Amino acid sequence: MAERMQLCNLSENNFEQCTKCSICTTVCPVAAVTTDYPGPKQAGPDGERYRLKDPAYYDKALKLCLNCKRCEVACPSGVHIADIIQRARMKASEGHRASLRDTMLANTDLLGTMANLVAPIANATLGLKPTKLVMDSVMAIDKNRTFPAYSRQKFTTWFKRHAAKDQDAYPNHVSYFHGCYVNYNFPKLGQDLVKVMNAIGYGVHLLDKEQCCGVALIANGLYKQAKRQGRVNVASIRKAVNMDHHTVLTTSSSCTFNLRDEYPAMLDLDNSDIRDGISLATRFIYNLVDEEKVKLVFKQDYKRRIAYHTACHMQRMGWQLYSIELLRMIPGLDLQVLEQECCGISGTYGFKKENYERSQAIGSILFKHIENAHVEAVATDCETCKWQIEMSTGLPVENPVSVLADALDVEATRKANNLTD
Amino acid sequence: MRMDTVIIGGGLSGLTCGIALAKRGQRVAIVASGQSTLMFNGGSMELLGCVDGKTVTSPLQAMATLPQGHPYSKIGVDRIATLAERATQLLADTGISMTGSAAANHWRITPMGVAKPAWLTLSENFSIQDLDNLPCKRLALMCIRGFFDEPNGMLAHGLQQLGFEVDKIEFTTTDITALRRSPSEMRASSLAKHLGGNSALQRVADQINSLASHADIVLLPSVIGQSDDDGYRTLKTLVNKPLQLVATLPPSVAGMRMQTLMRHYFRMLGGNYLMGDSAVSGTFDGDRLTAITTAKLGDMPLKADNFVLAAGSFVSRGLVADYERIYEPVLGVDVDADTDRDRWTSFGVLQPQQYFRYGVATDQQLHCLRQGKPVANLHAIGSILSGHDAVKMGDGTGVSLLTALAVADSITAR
Amino acid sequence: MATNEIYNKEYDVIIVGGGATGAGTARDCALRGLSVLLVERNDYSTGATGRNHGLMHSGARYAVTDGESASECISENMILRRIARHCVEETDGLFITLPEDDLQYQQTFVEACQRAGIRADVIDPDEARRLEPAVNPALIGAVRVPDASIDPFRLTVANLLDARLHGAATLNYHEVEGLIINQDRVQGVKLLNKLNGEHVEVHSRVVVNAAGIWGQRIAQQAGVNISMFPARGALLIFGHRVNNMVINRCRKPANADILVPDDTVCVIGTTSDRIPIETVDDMRVTREEVDVLLNEGVKIAPSLASTRIIRAYAGVRPLVASDNDPSGRSISRGIICLDHAKRDGLEGFITITGGKMMTYRLMGEIATNAVCAKLGNTAPCVTAQQPLPGSGEGYDDQRDTTKRYSFGQRAAIGRHGSLAARIEKDNDIAGALVCECEGVTVGEIKYAMHQLHVHNLVNLRRRTRIGMGTCQGKLCSCRAASLMGEINGNVKAAQEDLAAFLDERWKGMRPVAWGDTLREAQLTAAIYEGLCGLDMAVDLKGKEDVQ
Repeated sequence: MAERMQLCNLSENNFEQCTKCSICTTVCPVAAVTTDYPGPKQAGPDGERYRLKDPAYYDKALKLCLNCKRCEVACPSGVHIADIIQRARMKASEGHRASLRDTMLANTDLLGTMANLVAPIANATLGLKPTKLVMDSVMAIDKNRTFPAYSRQKFTTWFKRHAAKDQDAYPNHVSYFHGCYVNYNFPKLGQDLVKVMNAIGYGVHLLDKEQCCGVALIANGLYKQAKRQGRVNVASIRKAVNMDHHTVLTTSSSCTFNLRDEYPAMLDLDNSDIRDGISLATRFIYNLVDEEKVKLVFKQDYKRRIAYHTACHMQRMGWQLYSIELLRMIPGLDLQVLEQECCGISGTYGFKKENYERSQAIGSILFKHIENAHVEAVATDCETCKWQIEMSTGLPVENPVSVLADALDVEATRKANNLTD
Repeated sequence: MRMDTVIIGGGLSGLTCGIALAKRGQRVAIVASGQSTLMFNGGSMELLGCVDGKTVTSPLQAMATLPQGHPYSKIGVDRIATLAERATQLLADTGISMTGSAAANHWRITPMGVAKPAWLTLSENFSIQDLDNLPCKRLALMCIRGFFDEPNGMLAHGLQQLGFEVDKIEFTTTDITALRRSPSEMRASSLAKHLGGNSALQRVADQINSLASHADIVLLPSVIGQSDDDGYRTLKTLVNKPLQLVATLPPSVAGMRMQTLMRHYFRMLGGNYLMGDSAVSGTFDGDRLTAITTAKLGDMPLKADNFVLAAGSFVSRGLVADYERIYEPVLGVDVDADTDRDRWTSFGVLQPQQYFRYGVATDQQLHCLRQGKPVANLHAIGSILSGHDAVKMGDGTGVSLLTALAVADSITAR
Repeated sequence: MATNEIYNKEYDVIIVGGGATGAGTARDCALRGLSVLLVERNDYSTGATGRNHGLMHSGARYAVTDGESASECISENMILRRIARHCVEETDGLFITLPEDDLQYQQTFVEACQRAGIRADVIDPDEARRLEPAVNPALIGAVRVPDASIDPFRLTVANLLDARLHGAATLNYHEVEGLIINQDRVQGVKLLNKLNGEHVEVHSRVVVNAAGIWGQRIAQQAGVNISMFPARGALLIFGHRVNNMVINRCRKPANADILVPDDTVCVIGTTSDRIPIETVDDMRVTREEVDVLLNEGVKIAPSLASTRIIRAYAGVRPLVASDNDPSGRSISRGIICLDHAKRDGLEGFITITGGKMMTYRLMGEIATNAVCAKLGNTAPCVTAQQPLPGSGEGYDDQRDTTKRYSFGQRAAIGRHGSLAARIEKDNDIAGALVCECEGVTVGEIKYAMHQLHVHNLVNLRRRTRIGMGTCQGKLCSCRAASLMGEINGNVKAAQEDLAAFLDERWKGMRPVAWGDTLREAQLTAAIYEGLCGLDMAVDLKGKEDVQ
């Protein structure tokens, strides 16, 4: 029995902390471009009171929510607005099946495995007009959308052939949750991470078993599958963190956010014992430098002007500070920190035909800021932001770890950290 | 992570202090748990509007009568004029162009057509210097069809009471009609998004030009320009008559813009603005605060030489009231507040409410007190300070700006 | 009908009091072909009708102590499920036994329910926890009964609408200043029109005193003495539902032992204190009452300890002392109908009182029977069979789950039943939300203003739920005031009304002004006083009366 009363309000996702100030609606990228979406306040805390009364008050328009979490970041009352909306979607979707298109887009690893096998064909086919038209009409994937290219060789294959055997030699160790994007589309980022970590004396190891983190599955309503895969990941990470005493690093803000925050909030997966053992690589490296455990030495002649874009999920995690401060350590780097705006892609959202126009309209503010920044490249921690910004601005987009790897004087860094060959 | 100064709270006072410190080369982080109450500001700053129920015309003179515990008395009434000058300049540096003077209040026009004393008002907003000497006779009040966050009738009535002739003119454009298809999202901020482009502004201007030809000044609800004032300037050139804006119900477009511009400027100066994070606790060493932990940074605390508490009042959760007591939730510093719940509030809604005057206890230099003793490197600024009443005294924004600058001075003077 | 026309007519019956009982009596009289005028000194349902739990008792609560009331309840309960579908939510209720209670009482309780004809199923505590997760998990026994929740504002308005459909006239803001008495016969009422200060006399053959606790005063005006014993009960409203079934304590009725899910909120109550009759107009809730309600409430549903409270309010039950016991020791909660011709030798005057909000229909029937007996009318009562407006034809069409409704439309259907079809919704502006917490649209406001006797924002709130959500009218009250001001062509009055409305909201918030409710209040003050300067535009003194 409660002895002391009314010390705080404890409702699911803090929904009753809402003071109806409407600040969330001012930052919602979807409400800004479509009148079909009732906005986060209405879809979230307002609607929730009615849904508690009668589930029939569920509004199908909630599907339009990007789950970008900007509303939660802006909320001065700590309401988990997007979580309320996602939970309501989840509840309403019970018993419904996702479409073929959504299932395909959501299964980033399945799609990746198939595509890797036939990468040249896949890239060519996905890029061909007839294929795109078929995807547009049959699958409802927008024809204007450029699919990310698939790599010929998976990151894991490269790692096993070229890197794995050297890793035990380092004095310290981390595990790496590479994610689908690194594995199938862009192994270079994984290679860059290995390069940087090795240079500061850390061996990199893969998890026993890694599956797609499920961020896309959740967004597409495939909660059961997401939970199944989540269980596998939690078990692997648990072994790495609790048995091997490795921090598990990631190079994707969305994977990190999903593993740490969405697993318990959306999938009821208990990760409390390992949550602190999962870190974004930039945060981990920054902290090592900050605590003077390692040193970074950069190329003398390095000179670039880059803008940093805070991905929505990165902002929700609140870790952009680490990526920014790490990049600021590079003497030749002129870093322009952009005002946080949504790029509009939000994972697979922007790939869907019905969302394409909205997606581009949402991103237009960010694209304008990037244009005004007069930079040669953009850095961001999210792979889907990368696709969207590259497609929409023509500028190259890199992960901060890749920027770091590029600027790093590897030999000098190894020396500075007392590593011998 | 180590900073020179860490500021808890990213509203008007936190940003002002952060900008002042970053300008002097400090490494500053601001922890902002969500957007601030600037989002409710209609585009004016108030220094001092009312003392003992009497309207203030000369804030600098009226300051002298304030009690000892008022934040202005603590920073020293003789410093107010200079600080006020610097605050105006700082706002201008960020791109917020305001007019007014600390020596004599002018009158801002509220959404209900009330003339309230103000110190600074955005240049684009309609304000009156002298109520006995109105700037013109005929006003055209442009009312946006289907927009309910401007009480046009009350606004027009209030303006008539002041002596204007007011034509209420309803209008719409294709963009506005399209937006009204949403049952929930026709607010000033959503209008600002939909009226952002030049062609949309041209359509607004066409309406104004065809409907408001007899007015001396055209008034439009403040629904333009959430990130800069380009929109207003464009519209002004397209409209044949002098154009001024009137504040709307919140969220305020002008407030959003002020917030964005200040944050952007702070970032340009190299400041770290941790949006959506919140401070959860502090580590003290004797009479010093050494670090704070935040919800998002977790096991990596923010260390700094100086800390500033700018977390706002109850509404921003800088202060917390529960069934039993009133307290400051992050650092557990002392508060000035009644312990008896019945004394927090008064019966009539428009009566002075005591809780508005509650806040953290500070010494004369605005150091927070902890168990009665000052914390040497922790200052409090803005709405979280006790001893003032933003609603009844009209001193909220002034206290935020001036205490922020005064504390930035003390921090850098060391 | 214009107000002057209403004044000039002579009626079969004038009913004093616009609560559920008065409205139910007016409807019954009108349905039996009488010409009817109902007068109310404030707004409809401002007295005890609008100040209770919103509980549609199964009667179980009274089964042990008052079998007659229990039987009345269950019979009315079943009738209201048919005739007032849009006002009723069929939630069912639990009577729970906690470790500190005597489990023996459960048996007594169930037997008494059976005697009164109330279905009472003893269920396993596990089953109770599954059915209603909010219930105190420590419970050791539970009985399921057909309790439900009912919206008294809607119920009253539906009765008034039906009375009007059958020719009755109704006037709110008309206070009875005296009765017209001629040679031991009441022949009408002297009225003060509180909206314009006018004094008028209206004549009738019979006057029915249905003024609840204020009925003592009305009777005094006729020189008749009725001893009322005002019993004050305070309640707390939580910001959202924690429970979906009514939860009662299975023990002798006591303080704060019922938690009712009402629309989007839930309500715990009540306290019970005898108060002097002079204080019945002061309904401010005290700190002690809040403490009692909370301390007892958490025993029913522990989550109340950490759920936001948005308001506190209190009402007065019109209990009447038996004529043979003026001391008040034996007070009946049953229905009392006094024919003052028999009792006091005063013809043409009937008092209907006692009872409960949910037995209003039966009270109306009893009072109407008495009126008809005097007037020689022999028409039968049909109020138990004929559905109320909103629950009749078209009700099921409106609730078609295959149709897609906007939030505002769906909320309006929940409130107005089939009458929601009358709300304008075919253009973008009519469909726009004014109150976002409770889904009130421009169309619904216009409908309420034109059809449901709305003179001010508080009236509008009772008809639509505007400003009844967690923010208690922060932005919607300004939007609505502005809209009403434009429609009525008097913005100054609308501004004053806005301030009065905020004051009325604050009255209920103040006793629970901590936590998020205090934050809400501060933000409201910052908007209306700081940003808008409403405090400089209006003077609230002397305005309270009109509410």
